[in-house]
Amino acid sequence: MAMAGQLEDSEMIVHIGPQHPSLPGPFMLDLKLKGEVVQDAYLNMGYIHKGIEKLLENRTYLQCIPITDRMCYLSSLSNNEVFCSCVERLLGVEPPERAQYIRVLVQELSRIQSHLIGMGEFAEFIGFMSMFMFLVRERESIITLIEMITGARLTHTYGRFGGVRHDLPDGFVDRARKLLPAFEKKMRENVDTLESDEVYLERTEGVGKVSPEVAKQVGVTGPVLRASGIEYDIRRVEPTLVYPDLDFKVITDKRGDVFARVHCRFEEIFESLHIIDQCLDQMPAGEVRAKLPKTIKPEGEAYCRVEDPRGEMAMYVVGDGSPKPYRVKVRDPSYANLQALPPVLRGVYVADVVAIAGSMDTCISGVDR
Amino acid sequence: MSLLASYPFIKPLVIGLVGAAVLTGLLYLGGMFVVWLERKFTADMQSRFGPNRVGKYGLLQLIADALKLLTKEDIVPRSADQLLYLGAPIVAVSSALLMAAGMPYGYIRLPDWSILGVSLQGTHLLAVSNLDVGLLYVEAVSAVSVVGIFMAGWASPNKYALISAFRNVARMIGYEVPLAMSVVGVAVMAHSLNFVDVVNMQSSLYELFPVHPLLRYIPAWFIILQPIGFVVFGVSMLAELGSKPFDQIEAEEEIVAGWGVEYSGMRWALIYFSEYFHLILGSLFMVLLFFGGWTLPFDYPISLSPLVLLAKVILVIMGVLVVRWSLPRFRIDQVQTLGWKLLLPLSLINLAWAGALGMVL
Repeated sequence: MAMAGQLEDSEMIVHIGPQHPSLPGPFMLDLKLKGEVVQDAYLNMGYIHKGIEKLLENRTYLQCIPITDRMCYLSSLSNNEVFCSCVERLLGVEPPERAQYIRVLVQELSRIQSHLIGMGEFAEFIGFMSMFMFLVRERESIITLIEMITGARLTHTYGRFGGVRHDLPDGFVDRARKLLPAFEKKMRENVDTLESDEVYLERTEGVGKVSPEVAKQVGVTGPVLRASGIEYDIRRVEPTLVYPDLDFKVITDKRGDVFARVHCRFEEIFESLHIIDQCLDQMPAGEVRAKLPKTIKPEGEAYCRVEDPRGEMAMYVVGDGSPKPYRVKVRDPSYANLQALPPVLRGVYVADVVAIAGSMDTCISGVDR
Repeated sequence: MSLLASYPFIKPLVIGLVGAAVLTGLLYLGGMFVVWLERKFTADMQSRFGPNRVGKYGLLQLIADALKLLTKEDIVPRSADQLLYLGAPIVAVSSALLMAAGMPYGYIRLPDWSILGVSLQGTHLLAVSNLDVGLLYVEAVSAVSVVGIFMAGWASPNKYALISAFRNVARMIGYEVPLAMSVVGVAVMAHSLNFVDVVNMQSSLYELFPVHPLLRYIPAWFIILQPIGFVVFGVSMLAELGSKPFDQIEAEEEIVAGWGVEYSGMRWALIYFSEYFHLILGSLFMVLLFFGGWTLPFDYPISLSPLVLLAKVILVIMGVLVVRWSLPRFRIDQVQTLGWKLLLPLSLINLAWAGALGMVL
């Protein structure tokens, strides 16, 4: 290791990863420790690089959709969304209104389940195993709803160019109206339990502060950025689909610490529920997919952004008039969020490292692609 | 008979061996029960099932686990400090056995039985030895397990284990002092370091002070007489047991389960089991000191006293489990702050209070 020569007698290097029980997905975080205090942190990624961008360039547009599912296993619906809207932009089509509502609906459901598993894992990192179980249990009701729509629990392949794969199933709206209020009540209870816990407050308040300046320099987005007090949400700054017609707050917090990041995500869950309510109310009847030729051969280039559960997810697609994309480039939010770790980790305790890393809620699968 | 007469040491030897075997066996049974209890109880708290496949209610799960651990490869890392590495499980478990030897388990009344010609009729205290300094002895040997865990962490050629070992020592130093102080508080109030005296004191207080007959149904246990001491003892005991929120030495999410990361199979199981022994014996310690031991605020057949004690111990263990599974983990510096800045002053206040009350009693 490069920095081993610079170690003092009382310092040592401890690997957190690639084989470590808590960090999500294999990546290496090396800590230079003096006692229990982190002197320096070094990030190293690329252990599970899957070459997804190259895979996309070797398939027809339709065959690409299942591959985008696998970029980040927790937010495959927003990966579908960003690819589909890129191709729609290339083709110059717009989905019917009902399809737009359905896409917003599934994206918000996906955001909720992603936040739940992310914060559940975070709770486990600070030793709160029961909270992990509670959140995962609540997540089941959301997953059930998504499963009703898409038929899958993790990799959905639900988005289509100019719409969605198929309409909502019969009885979905009633089921959602029954499940969601109960879910909201339970979640309120869980959040209150967590945020009134003295040990939890000790572990999170004032820990791992990301200042607005550092956040902007590193380029973090999503809840991590909003927890540092910057109101930036793609759903607001560059809205797609029917987001402009929907009423929702962009959750921000000025504190920028671990507590704020977790708090922002929980509040976003409630905001997403609000959006879903409006979708269920306002959704018109009608077609769910625009008429398109069987084989599409778009030409030109398109860049499209969506608000992924973890932040700004963007894709750049170049079409050369052939059935396969000429070039695809993905911007995943987790990569930037991870870059915030080394500056924040300096001077904290080992125990806080996992708390801070967990509060970033990164998906290494998305980083390495 | 002639054999016994010519070799008088045979009788104590036989009794000692049988007693040690029974005690150790019961302790292991208790450990298995507590592991099962924890898994079922935690599952209930978290709305899941827990073990329910091996045997009715998963009762044979522990036997299956033990078989699995026995058949695992016994790995000793080449660069480990062999003596310390191999000795650590022995030290950890022997601490629990030494603790068990110093505690009383209630009374038993026997009919006219005799072994080797000696009549057993009468009421007997169930204890290996009724030590006059029992409280101090148990407190002292309970700390030995910490040495066992330190040995394991230090001898393992692993940085996580090393961090765990140092956390272990930091925690031990921080909590051994308040724990001892709260034990001394009880001793001062009971005027004795003998467990039986401490238990008797808690049942005989109302005989010393005549009170209204109805008040006699409120137990005069030390949890009521020295609540601060109980809190200090309870928190320190949780810390000594390494139970959440004080399980920094294990902390799977940070230091990959710490001391045990290089251990495999039965060696790992031994150290882990010793922690469950300590949970049982720590709870027993707490029941004897603060919950009146085997006494109840009314009279009952004395032969039932081991069962009463057992019931109380199980209740205390369940209390510990509730705490263990409803709190996140402290950071090691917060643990130190709590120990030195809060519990130590509190234990001193409790000692002053116990001294003042002890003069009256």
